[in-house]
Amino acid sequence: MTGTAGSGTDRASFAASGRVFWLLPLALLGLPLVIGSYVQYIVNLTLVYVLVGVGFNVVLGNLGQLAFANAAFFGIGAYATGTLMYHLKAPFPLALCAGALAGGLAGALVALPALRGIRAFYLAIMTLAFGELMRWIYINADAVTLGSMGMQVPRPTLFGYVLVTDVDKYYVFLAVVTLLVAATANLLRSRVGRAFTAIRDNELAAASIGIPTARYMVLAFAWSGVVVGTAGALYAALVRHVSPEAFNLLELILHFGIVMVGGLASLAGSILGAAVLTAAPEMFRDLPGYEELLIAILMVAVLLLMPKGLASLLARASPLFRQRYFRD
Amino acid sequence: MTDPLIALSDVTVRFGGVTALSGVSLSLAPGEVVAVIGPNGAGKTSLFNAITGFVPLADGAIRLRGARIDGLMPHDISTRGVRRTFQNGGLFPEQTVLENVLSGLHAEVPGNPLAILFGLPGARRAERAAVARARALLDLMGIRHLERRPAGSLSGGQQRMVEIVRAIATDPPLLLLDEPAVGLAPPVREQLAAIVKLLAKERGIGVLLIEHAIELVMAVADRIVVLNYGEKIADAAPEVVRADKAVLEAYLGHA
Repeated sequence: MTGTAGSGTDRASFAASGRVFWLLPLALLGLPLVIGSYVQYIVNLTLVYVLVGVGFNVVLGNLGQLAFANAAFFGIGAYATGTLMYHLKAPFPLALCAGALAGGLAGALVALPALRGIRAFYLAIMTLAFGELMRWIYINADAVTLGSMGMQVPRPTLFGYVLVTDVDKYYVFLAVVTLLVAATANLLRSRVGRAFTAIRDNELAAASIGIPTARYMVLAFAWSGVVVGTAGALYAALVRHVSPEAFNLLELILHFGIVMVGGLASLAGSILGAAVLTAAPEMFRDLPGYEELLIAILMVAVLLLMPKGLASLLARASPLFRQRYFRD
Repeated sequence: MTDPLIALSDVTVRFGGVTALSGVSLSLAPGEVVAVIGPNGAGKTSLFNAITGFVPLADGAIRLRGARIDGLMPHDISTRGVRRTFQNGGLFPEQTVLENVLSGLHAEVPGNPLAILFGLPGARRAERAAVARARALLDLMGIRHLERRPAGSLSGGQQRMVEIVRAIATDPPLLLLDEPAVGLAPPVREQLAAIVKLLAKERGIGVLLIEHAIELVMAVADRIVVLNYGEKIADAAPEVVRADKAVLEAYLGHA
């Protein structure tokens, strides 16, 4: 891909290669200069939910499995990170990696029933039960989790530097989220992503062309767990309070909403869905009592008008946003 | 003759109390087209499922170039060179045509998940090479113009064609086609016959073909195997099978 800079074909190949997407995090570097401290907190929260949506969508949209353990992955990541920082005074980067790892292991664990041939509604109820079981553990393993009151997470530090303000956290979050979204995009635009959607579309046919379906199912769940577990780790660092109530069924419905409003199997959609559903409650905050109602109306309206979510708007704007499962 | 491409010996498949295949033996040489015919429920698709590892054998053995393949996982059997299509269509409807063919190349695209995750140059190169290979195949079959279409949006004939391209993407020695002509218009059937002949005679692929469309069978088959109630009742050249009394009885229900 060499040639004279600025020529039309160069721009086209630059866009088609997907490198154009790096412009977004670059532009976001300047965001703290133009927003206030409260909005900064909401932006940080949005970054957390971008990972929540992107990770959930891998299992729900790409692998096509009705698995609802996402709030559990989120909680496991948050508790792993919070516990290490609270009890062991672990530095944040280490605790973050532990949160990602714990989420990934939980993902691989949840894939086990799917490997036994449990699908659809049966997988849905089993994974919902797993989420509630985790909440029971958070409440009852109080020597570690401090029970239903939750635990106060110490200030995150990065190589000895304490992340005090939300702007400090923002740059760390932006780096982590960009890295994981780019990695997920790489994964989806490869034989791995194709294997996921092949399994979703026709599992027997996938096996018949040499795809080890069981291995890729575990991989999809584990990667989903890594991404969502990392979201949990960032959440623990942002809110600095981890309690069982943060990972209940209502939270799961929010995760589900992000994926559906954004669009199944669309990476760009998950990002947009996270932004809309994190920002909307804040915009409606001036109308106390109507907050939930307005969010519900928003979700219904989007899905009625755009069954494929906000991603279909993006795809109409530019073919760049159409999820592709190869690169050329 | 040396080792046959594939050899089934006394293959028996049972589902609970029902015997779907009972002691079926057959073999196939490279470049040979063998049609499998028989009334509904005769065990034709069970035969394909047994060869491709989708159902376990109750008895018997299946050898590919002399090596046992029964008991292996379907994806293992596939990567050893046994590819199939499905009676009801086995494409991935939401993948594009190009992505379907790329999926067919899955086992031959190198790159471990970590290299892919970090977008390492080696993994990217492997992907680009696979895309070029898939496009060359689509060109060869004259369906390159469909590459961006979701497979689910294609006509029945186009879908059948893409499924065959996907199946032969890795140059497998053996191809199993399960009723490829069903629902196709006569001109498309002729096109299909030409493709089957091309694959067998030019590329040396052994083809096992389940088919009800008798004119297609007569046009392409070197040999016909007839199944009835899970047993092989004939295995001979087309003109011999056509005159076989047991075969006529199986189809017409004479006592």
